[in-house]
Amino acid sequence: MKIAAFLPELLRHLFKKPATVDYPFKKLEVPKDFRGTPFLNPDMCIVCRACERDCPAEAIEITSVNEAEKRFRMIIHNDRCIHCAQCVDSCPTTPKAMQIDSLFEIASDDRHKLKKDWVYVRAVLKPKAPAPAAPPPAAEPKI
Amino acid sequence: MNFQIPIGPQHPALKEPISLRMTVDGEVITDVDIRLGYNHRGLEKLAEEKTWLQNIYLTERICGICSHSHSSCFVQGVEKLMELTPPRRGLYIRYLVSELERVHSHLLWLGVAGHEAGFDSFFMYTWRDREVVMDLLEMISGNRVHYAMNTLGGVRRDLDEGQKARILEGVAILRKRSEYYFHIGASEPSFVARIAGVGLLSKEQAVSLCAVGPVARASGVARDVRKEDPYAVYDELDFELCTADTCDVLGRVVVRVKELLQSYRMIEQMVKGLPDGDIVVKAPRKAKPGEVVSRYEAPRGENIHYIKANGSDKPERLKVRAPTLGNYAATLVMLRKGFIADIPLIFAAIDPCICCAERTVTLVKAGSGEESVVRMSDLRRRAIARHQNAPVKRNAVWPL
Amino acid sequence: MAVVRTVLYLVVYPGLLFLFVYSTFCEWFDRKVYARFQNRMGPTHTGRFGVLQPIADFFKLMAKEDVVPDAADKRLFSVLPVIGLAVVSTAGLLLPVWNFDLANPGWTSFSGDIIVILYLLSLPTLILFLAAWSSTNLFSTIGGARVLTMLFGYEVPLFLAVLSPAILADSWRLAEIAAFYQAKPLLLLTNILGFFIALVAVQAKLERTPFDIPHAETEIVGGTFTEYSGKKLALFRLTFDIEMVVASGLLAAVFLGGFPGGAVVGFIHFVVKTLFIIFLLSLLRALTSRIRIDQVVSFAWKYLAPLAVLQLLATILLKGLIT
Repeated sequence: MKIAAFLPELLRHLFKKPATVDYPFKKLEVPKDFRGTPFLNPDMCIVCRACERDCPAEAIEITSVNEAEKRFRMIIHNDRCIHCAQCVDSCPTTPKAMQIDSLFEIASDDRHKLKKDWVYVRAVLKPKAPAPAAPPPAAEPKI
Repeated sequence: MNFQIPIGPQHPALKEPISLRMTVDGEVITDVDIRLGYNHRGLEKLAEEKTWLQNIYLTERICGICSHSHSSCFVQGVEKLMELTPPRRGLYIRYLVSELERVHSHLLWLGVAGHEAGFDSFFMYTWRDREVVMDLLEMISGNRVHYAMNTLGGVRRDLDEGQKARILEGVAILRKRSEYYFHIGASEPSFVARIAGVGLLSKEQAVSLCAVGPVARASGVARDVRKEDPYAVYDELDFELCTADTCDVLGRVVVRVKELLQSYRMIEQMVKGLPDGDIVVKAPRKAKPGEVVSRYEAPRGENIHYIKANGSDKPERLKVRAPTLGNYAATLVMLRKGFIADIPLIFAAIDPCICCAERTVTLVKAGSGEESVVRMSDLRRRAIARHQNAPVKRNAVWPL
Repeated sequence: MAVVRTVLYLVVYPGLLFLFVYSTFCEWFDRKVYARFQNRMGPTHTGRFGVLQPIADFFKLMAKEDVVPDAADKRLFSVLPVIGLAVVSTAGLLLPVWNFDLANPGWTSFSGDIIVILYLLSLPTLILFLAAWSSTNLFSTIGGARVLTMLFGYEVPLFLAVLSPAILADSWRLAEIAAFYQAKPLLLLTNILGFFIALVAVQAKLERTPFDIPHAETEIVGGTFTEYSGKKLALFRLTFDIEMVVASGLLAAVFLGGFPGGAVVGFIHFVVKTLFIIFLLSLLRALTSRIRIDQVVSFAWKYLAPLAVLQLLATILLKGLIT
C-alpha cells in the first residue's frame, strides 16, 4: 500500500490544459453522419408513407391538402422525434427525400415551435434501370 | 439507537429512484427492505403495440447505459423467429459496438464507484477517458448514447478504413489509462480501505441467490453467457473469462477492470478481422408464430428477453429480465451486517440499472397476502380518495 | 474616536468584511486548484477567472427560501449559524498579522492567545453537533454523532502538534512565537513532522475529504446540514470558509514563521503563506477518498497521536539542548 500513489499524476495535471470544452463559447465539431434533426426534400417525395409507418415515435404526419392536385402536407413533430433516423432508412427514393442534418441545438421554450411543415405536390419519379441503390431494411413501400 | 433510515427514493447515492429501508443499530445495518416500482414505464405493454422495427428503438430506450444490449438481445431473438441469418460483417459490427458499450459502461461504473467512496479525482479522470469511447461511438453510429445501430437482419451503418484506424488508436490510449486505473484502484490506501472486505457474498450465496454478471464473477462463479452459450461471433474471438476470489467490492472492481482489458483485446480482433460483404439482409414485415428466449451478456450481467409472436407484425408478448433484477436478492444479503457508510458502495458495486429492472407491480394486501394487478387509473383514484379521507396529523411521525 | 476605530476594526479590517472577502477569495483558490488537479476548469465566468463565484453562491443562498422543520427546536436551530460565524470571526481577530508590533500589542495579542484560538476553533464542532441535534432529522442525527466521534480522533494530535513549536519558543503568545522563529528560521525545520500532523488534523477539523464523513453527500444526504437552507446555510458555509482561513493563519503563524515586516509586508506574507497552506489542503483533498468513521478514529490514535507525541518529545529534548 503506497501512500499518495496518485500524487505524481495530480501534480502533472496542474500544468496541463483542462479537458473541458468551454461551451457555449467554444463549440465541438460533430462527426459526419451525425443524427441531428430530420427534414424533407419535397421535390423527391412520392408520398409512399413509409416514414410515417416506421417512425417509432409517431413524429411524421402526412395529410392530403388537395386530392385533385395531389398536394400533400407533411408535418415533422420535432418535439416527438427521437432522432433515430429510421425515416431516412425507410425512404425508398434516390436521392432520399427524407434526410437528416447535424443540428443539435434545437432547444426551445415551447414545444409547438419545434414542429416543421412542408406543403408540396407529390413527385413523379422517372422509371430508371434497377440500380443497386441501398434498399431499406423495411418492406416494400406501398404507393 | 435502533431506527429506520430511508435510502431513497430520492437520495444522492442513487442515480435512479428505489427505496431501501434500512433498520440500523448505531452504524450497523440489521435489516433491509427493498421497494421497487418508482420508475415503471409500461414498456412491455407498449411493445405489444409497436411493430418489430419500431420495437428495436423502444427496447433501446429501456436503459441509457446498456441500450445496445437490450436492442441486440431483442433483435437476436426476432431474427431467430423470422429465420434470418445476418451477414458476418453485420454481426461483427453489431458486437463491436457491444464491446465498445461494455467499455463505456465499465469506465462509467469506475467513476461512480469512486464518487460514492468520495474519491472525486478518480471519478473525473475515468469520465474524461470515457469521452474517448463516446467520441468513437458517435463517429460510428451518429449519437453518443442510444446508438441505433441494429436493424432486423443486420446493422444500419458500415465502417470505413478511417474509422477503423481511429478505433484502434482510441483503444490503444484507453488501454494505457485502464492499466493505470487498475494500479490506482488496487493501491490507493484510503480507497482500498473503503472497498476491501465490504459487501461479502460467498460463492454458495452467489449461486443460490442467482447473482449475475461481475457480482457473481467476483465471488468466483465462472459464468459468462459469451463463453457458455456463445452467440454470433463470440465463438471465433479469443478472450478470457475474468473472475476474482475476494467476494467483496474490491473483487468487483478488479473483475470489471479485467473485463475492460479483455474488451480491448476483442475490439482489436474484431476491427482487424472484419470480414467483407453486406451488412444487412432484407427482413419480412411479419414474423411466424413462435416463441424465443434470447440471452445476452450485458455489462451488468445476463440479459434475457422472451419474445412471443403470433404471425402479425407486432409482438404478442415481450418480457425483459434485466440483470439488475437478478442481483437484488444478493444485494439484500450483502447489505446486512454492513455499516451505513458502506451502503452507497455496496449498492453501486452491483452496478444498479434500476430503470432496466422495473417490471409489473402487483399489489399485496398486507393482512391476507392476496395479490392483484391494478390499472394505473384505479391506483390513482384510490390514492386520491385515501389522501382526502385521511385526517391531518400535526407533529406526527410519518411512516416512511 | 477610539470607539469608532474599534468598530471599524471589528467590522471592516480585520473584522467581518475583510474576513468575508478574503475567505471567499480563498474558497475560489481552493476550488480552482482542486479543479485543475482534476483536469477541469473550476469557476471561470463569474468575474475575471471566476473570482466572484463564491460571493455569488453566498448571495444566491441568502435569497433562497428558508425552511425550518416543524419538529425542530426553532430558537436553537436559527441562532446556531450566527453563533458559529461570531466564534470564528473572533478567532480571526487573534491572528498575529494585524498586531505585529510586539512592544505595543493591543488587546488582541496576549499571553495564552494560542490556547484561546485553539479553543475558539473547537467550538464550531460543538455548534455543528447542536445544529444536528436540533434538526431532529435522522440523517442529521447520524451526522452529529459522526462529528463528535471525529472530534475524539483529531483534536488531541492537533493540540499536541500546534503546541510543540510554542514550547520551543517558550511562549504562549502567537506574536512572540512568530518573532522567535523569525529570529532563528532554521529551527522551523525541527517542526516539519508537527506541520504535517497539523495539516491532516486541520483537514479533519474543516471536514474536507478524506474526513468529510459528517456531511458525506452520498451517504447521509447532508449530515448536519440536511435541514438547513437559505440564509442559515449561507452563514454556515461562510463559517467554514472563515474557519479555513483562520486555521491556515494559525498554522502559518506557528509553523511557517509568522508574518514579519510591518503592516504591508506582513500582510503580503499572510496572503502568500495562507494560500500555500490552502494549496496543500486542496492537494490532500484531491488525493484521497473518504474513509469510514471507525477508520478515522483508529487512524488518528494509531498514527497521528503517537507521531504528535514523538514531535513533542523531540521538541522538549531540543529545548533542553538549546538552553
